[in-house]
Amino acid sequence: MLQDIIGTKRELFADGVQTVLRGHENRNRRVVLLKGNLVQNARSEAAGISARVNNKGTFGFASIAEYSPEAAEKVIRAATENALALGRHSGRDIPLPVSMGTGIVPLNTEIRDTDQKTIIDMCRTVDRYIETRYPDLSSRTVVYYEDSQDRIVYSSDAYNGHLVTPRCYVYVMMSAETKDGAPVELFKAFGGFGSFYDHFTKPEELFPGIDALYKKLMDKKEGVYAEAGYKTVVLGGMMGGMLAHEAVGHTVEADLVRGGSVAGPNLNKRVASNLVTMVDFAHTYQGKPAPLPVYLDDEGTKAEDDILIKDGILTGYMNDRESAAEYGMQPLGNARGWSFADEPIIRMRNTCILPGKSTVEELIASVDDGYYLIDSGNGQADLTGEFMFGVTCGYEIKNGKLGKALLDTTVTGVAFEMLKTVDMVSDTVEWSSSGFCGKKQPMAVGMGGPHMRCKIMIGGR
Amino acid sequence: MELRTTADLMDTILQEQKIGKYSFCVTQSEKQELNLENGGFKLLRTVFNNNGNVKVFLGEKMGAAAGNDLSENGLQKLVQEAKAAAASASDDPCHDIAPNQGKDVFRQGQYEPDMDRFIERIKEFVDTAAKEYPKVKIMSGIGSYDRWNWISRNTNGTEFEGIGGQYSFSIEICAGEGEKTTGLDYTHVSMKSLDTPFMELGDIRRHLEDVQNSIYPEALEGKFEGTVIMTPGCALDFIWMTLSNYITDGVIIDGTSQWLDKVGEQVADEKLTISLKPFDERIVIGERGTGNGFRSEDVTLIDKGVLKTHWLSLYGANKTGRPAVKNTGSDLVVEPGKGTLEELIASVDKGLLMGGFSGGQPGTNGEFSGVAKNSFLIENGKIKGAVTETMVNGNLGEAFRNIRGISKELKCDGGSVVPYIAVDGIVISGK
Repeated sequence: MLQDIIGTKRELFADGVQTVLRGHENRNRRVVLLKGNLVQNARSEAAGISARVNNKGTFGFASIAEYSPEAAEKVIRAATENALALGRHSGRDIPLPVSMGTGIVPLNTEIRDTDQKTIIDMCRTVDRYIETRYPDLSSRTVVYYEDSQDRIVYSSDAYNGHLVTPRCYVYVMMSAETKDGAPVELFKAFGGFGSFYDHFTKPEELFPGIDALYKKLMDKKEGVYAEAGYKTVVLGGMMGGMLAHEAVGHTVEADLVRGGSVAGPNLNKRVASNLVTMVDFAHTYQGKPAPLPVYLDDEGTKAEDDILIKDGILTGYMNDRESAAEYGMQPLGNARGWSFADEPIIRMRNTCILPGKSTVEELIASVDDGYYLIDSGNGQADLTGEFMFGVTCGYEIKNGKLGKALLDTTVTGVAFEMLKTVDMVSDTVEWSSSGFCGKKQPMAVGMGGPHMRCKIMIGGR
Repeated sequence: MELRTTADLMDTILQEQKIGKYSFCVTQSEKQELNLENGGFKLLRTVFNNNGNVKVFLGEKMGAAAGNDLSENGLQKLVQEAKAAAASASDDPCHDIAPNQGKDVFRQGQYEPDMDRFIERIKEFVDTAAKEYPKVKIMSGIGSYDRWNWISRNTNGTEFEGIGGQYSFSIEICAGEGEKTTGLDYTHVSMKSLDTPFMELGDIRRHLEDVQNSIYPEALEGKFEGTVIMTPGCALDFIWMTLSNYITDGVIIDGTSQWLDKVGEQVADEKLTISLKPFDERIVIGERGTGNGFRSEDVTLIDKGVLKTHWLSLYGANKTGRPAVKNTGSDLVVEPGKGTLEELIASVDKGLLMGGFSGGQPGTNGEFSGVAKNSFLIENGKIKGAVTETMVNGNLGEAFRNIRGISKELKCDGGSVVPYIAVDGIVISGK
């Protein structure tokens, strides 16, 4: 883990500007078994140091692939020069955001490394289980992926601190053939925040999840295409999380609001039914650590929860310090960079639609003719709130009961219209944290949601 | 440390560790990046980076490691990590390095930037866009100059060195009037020189025109089977999805590809020819050495609709007993058609001109389903208004076979060369 060797360089911060100095290390571990073949077996580590300087709304950033006091001096000088140099072209003259307090955010946890042999052995155990138990699969892939971030932040007028974010996952992918010989696939991610030893010392604990995945794949083998059109659906919790992140979350990132997103003219207006409340959690959810806790961001802002929609009313945006000042809001710790070479930009943390009062069974039983959409492979959204999620696992609902499984399809809608159709919300939330959000840089994010009954456009043949 | 000294040191460390078979690449790079927000300069970013990656073999066991610390200690650690990974692996003789390719130095692009001129070109673009497309907002723009020096070696005697630099410019745009806003659109170009105004590069002007004409889209009603004319950017996305699903390592090794036994057979309409052409003069920085250690070559993947080869790495080739393709780049070139875009549009009874596809990654069966973005309705041979909430569904393999036409017009953005491609039989549905 990073040792604090840069704190004394704060004395080089220039007067009259805001400076943040960040030491940052990313490490990855990757093992891929494709039908038992070890096709990837790699480890990587990248560390460096960066500085960002705000001079009246014009920013300079510099980074060097070296974590040392000398590198700290160089990036502070270069970022300051960049901010001043670009200022001659930008014409910006924006007052610096006021300080929201100073202090120290202590180290939150530690990163425990794992040797490659232990990782490979675990993957082989999982792979052998699948191979032995389910020989009828046409293909199987077991992936171990770990990315850990370790950052030390010093700021001129905000908090300083040390934050580490280790996460690791096993992804299991299975393929089978339909009776027509066409392949169908499903995958599942296991794991979460923490290191190998927090999740995978007992590979057999993954087996029930693998069995459930196989059963769903066998259902999908017999699956049917969804009927295209505007349908009543029950979105599963993972889909609810995707909705929170893609369809709403991105539109309320203040840099996209500034660019003209649909959230701009809708602040303090109804954008969802009164059953919908959505929060970007910083580090704690219902008294327990959120999936990927963030205690401090890369501008030195101490992280707090951000209530985005309250009882259906759009109440806030996600901000960095500059946009918070522009919109008269409080910065709550959303400015983050992926690596030492990345400047902080506005990112989500653990974005979640809160649970309601119905049970999942009640939601499904309430639908006469529609679909139960469980898992999503990916999603995208637009400034207008028009969103798309790929649906990899779902079932028909006929007269309140589950019917045939669905082949892959896609759902779409316009977030602030679709959310007004939400008329039942389940009392439990499902979280995921294994994916990446892409927005100039990748970022690890958590997303969560309850089951929701709503109307949505679904694609099909 | 000079990069060549670093490479020599890496060799020494590997040999001291008595590793008889290895390959590595060390890179130093520098980026100067100008960031625009809402049409004005906001951030100047400078990045000095290093990268080292090494692959070592202990008998038939392979392990790899990567890192950005190219000091002696950093290289020592890198080798130890790769060695430990290899020691943990099982025997697999299919992991290998390319045979001796000789020694070569590849100089490409512009190694000394003219940043003042670069800034002027960006300002010129912003001013032109504001004047000619007043309803368009440049939400973000990135002008980047990147240069690099890399050296790769392997124990079969190959040594390649790459020295180069390029400019690139990308924009995210939307358009609006009052509270009405379009969706996001984006495009990207890369170039060796700053001789041409950015507005005239790639299909930048076309993107600005299209987004300005999309402020008042209409939701499509009903469902029909029609023709989709994909813009070059959209067509490129579909081609990558198809190649990935049908001819790359994963699906050939596990046998799930729909084109597993189709080499030499017609898999697409005869109007379609797709190649990887790193030496094409329209490609700014073509690949010169592959990730496997071969000299890169121009390769035709599909010739007049016939699949010429799968796109296998050395490992994939060894694993399946098929030939390796000496190209791991993305320098994709699609041959133009005979008609113009205007003629293609005129030939369509009902369909879409589709500027982007937002959809789930298709499974290996090739079924795709997603939202048509930045798209316009075509009826009776004429472009009508922009559409919203419109879904398209089909199958990648069928789409390749159902090509109605390919345009003469090509988009050359420095990284690829792609025409408009019209495909029949796509299910298009609205509310």
